[in-house]
Amino acid sequence: MIEVKNITKKYGSFQAVHDLNFTVNDGEILGFLGPNGAGKSTTMNMITGYIEPTEGNIIVEGFDISKKPKQAKKQIGYMPENVPLYQELTVREFVQYMAELKRVKRKEKKAEVDRVIEKTGLKDVQKKLIRNLSRGYKQRVSMAGALVGNPKVLILDEPTVGLDPKQVAEIRNLIRELGKTHTILLSSHILSEVSQVCKRVLIINKGKIVAMDTPENLEGKVKTDNILVLTVEDKQDHMKDLKKEIPEIKEIELKKENTDGTKQYTISSDEKVDIRKKLFEILPKKEITIFELKKAEATLEDAFIGLIDTPEEKQQEESKTEPEKENKKEKKKKDKKKKEEK
Amino acid sequence: MWAIIKKEVKSYFLSPIGYIFVGLFLAVYSIFFYLDVYYYGSTNFGNMFYSLTTIVTFLIPVLTMRLFAEEKKTGTEQLLLTSPRSVTAITLGKFFAALIVVLISEVLTFIYYGILMYFGDPNLVTALVTLFGFTLLASAYIAFGMFASSLTENQIIAEILTTVVLLALWFLPNFIPTMQTFSLVNAFTSSFPAGTISLAAIVLLGSFTILFILLTMMVLQRKKSVK
Repeated sequence: MIEVKNITKKYGSFQAVHDLNFTVNDGEILGFLGPNGAGKSTTMNMITGYIEPTEGNIIVEGFDISKKPKQAKKQIGYMPENVPLYQELTVREFVQYMAELKRVKRKEKKAEVDRVIEKTGLKDVQKKLIRNLSRGYKQRVSMAGALVGNPKVLILDEPTVGLDPKQVAEIRNLIRELGKTHTILLSSHILSEVSQVCKRVLIINKGKIVAMDTPENLEGKVKTDNILVLTVEDKQDHMKDLKKEIPEIKEIELKKENTDGTKQYTISSDEKVDIRKKLFEILPKKEITIFELKKAEATLEDAFIGLIDTPEEKQQEESKTEPEKENKKEKKKKDKKKKEEK
Repeated sequence: MWAIIKKEVKSYFLSPIGYIFVGLFLAVYSIFFYLDVYYYGSTNFGNMFYSLTTIVTFLIPVLTMRLFAEEKKTGTEQLLLTSPRSVTAITLGKFFAALIVVLISEVLTFIYYGILMYFGDPNLVTALVTLFGFTLLASAYIAFGMFASSLTENQIIAEILTTVVLLALWFLPNFIPTMQTFSLVNAFTSSFPAGTISLAAIVLLGSFTILFILLTMMVLQRKKSVK
C-alpha cells in the first residue's frame, strides 16, 4: 500500500506539486495521468525517495520513506522515466547488480536473477551488452531491474513509451499479470492503456488532483450532450433543413464528405431525448438514405481533455468533492464485501 | 557497500579508464626507475614516488571524474539513490573503488622492487612506508575528485576542476608561504619516501580525505531536497 499524505514540492516559489493526497491499495493498479509537466514524475520521484517533498509524508507498506528509507525502499521496484541503465554491463550483470543493491541474499541471488530474466523475456539476450540492445529490450531490462528482489510495490513511469505496438501489448500483459500480486502505480500518456489495465485512474494537472475515479465513471462524467454520428447519401442536400423538421436537434455539423458520395454528420441533441427513431422516420421521406447511424461514445481521452481544460475554479470544486467520492467508494466496497459474506 | 565497490571497479576495467590509469602510472614509473637506477645508481624504492606525485595530479582527476557525473548524466543515479542503500554506503563504495584502482597500480610497482632486490639491497620497510604514504595522498586526491564529480554532470568540468585545485594546492605554497602547512604533496614527500611516518602528515592527508568524503555526502543529501 502506498499512502501519500498532503505532499507539496516547491522549487523556490514554483510549486510543482500542491498538497497531493491519495492511496494506492494493496493489489491495485492505479493509473496516473496528467499532461506533460503536471508533476507526475516529481510525485513518483518523491514516492521512491529520490527527492524529498517540501511538506507531507509518504508511507510505503507502513514505512515512512523519509524516516525509514531503507525499509521503505526495499519494498519498492522503480522503473524511471527515461530508462536509465548501465550501458557497459550485460543484461545479466545489470540485473545481478540491482539484486545486490536491493539486498537479495547471496544464496537466493542466482535463482532470483533467473526468475526475473525469465519473466521479462530476456533469456536470449542476457549475455549481451545493454548498449547494443534495442529500445524494447532496454525497456524490459529496466523492468527486470524494478522486479528483482520481488518488491511489493511497483512504480512504473511511462513503461511503454517508444515501443512498437506488439511490444506495448506484451508489456501491458506483463503489467496486468504483475497487478495480481503487486501494488502498482502506473503513469502514462496513453489513455487507452490506462483504461485497459487500471481499475482506478488519478488525473493530475499543475500539481493538483483533478479527478480520481474508475475509467468508466470518468468517461460518464464528460457526457453532456447526446451526440450521434450519421452517414447519409443526400443528393438533394436536404440535411440543412433537418433542424426545422426535428426541433430537438441542437446542432448539425458536416464532418466529412466520403469519396463514394456519402456525407458524415454529427448531430447533437439534449441528453434526455433520443432522436434516433425520428431520424429513421423522417430521413427516407426527404430522400435521404441512411448508411450508418451510431452513438458517439465519450472516451477517457475526452474526459482527460475536459478535465484539464476546465478553468481553475472548476478544478478546485472538483478537488473539494474528491474525499466525498472516496468515501462513497469505500462504502460501496464495504457493501460488496457484506454481500459476499452473506 | 561491497556491491557498489565491486560494480565500480568492474566498470573501471570495462572502460579504457582503468587500463589507461594503470598503464600510464607504470609507464611513468618505469621512466623514473630507469633514470634513477641507471643514471644515479640508486636502489632507493621510495625515490621514484617523489616524481610520481606529478603524474597522479593529472591521472587521478581522470579516474574520479566519472564517479558521480556519469551517473547523473545517464540518469542511473536514480537507480542508485532509490535503492535501499544509504548515501554513506554509496559514497564510500565509489571512493574505495577508485582507491582500489590506485592500489592495483601500487602493487604492480613491486615488480621493480624485485628488480632492485636482484641488483642490490633495497629496504622493505622504507618501501612499505612509502606506499602507505602514497596511498594517503591518493585518497586525499580521490576524495576531492569525487567531490568535484558530485557537483556537475559534465565529466570534463569535474576533471578540470580537480586538476586545477590539485595544481593550486601544489604550487600555491611557492607564492604564499603560509599555504606550506596545507600542501598535500609536501606532507607526503617530506616524510614517507625516506621511511619515516609523520603524524602531522597523516592527520593532514586523512582529514582532507574525510572532509571531502563528508562534503560529497552532503552534496548528495542536499540534492534530494533541492532537485
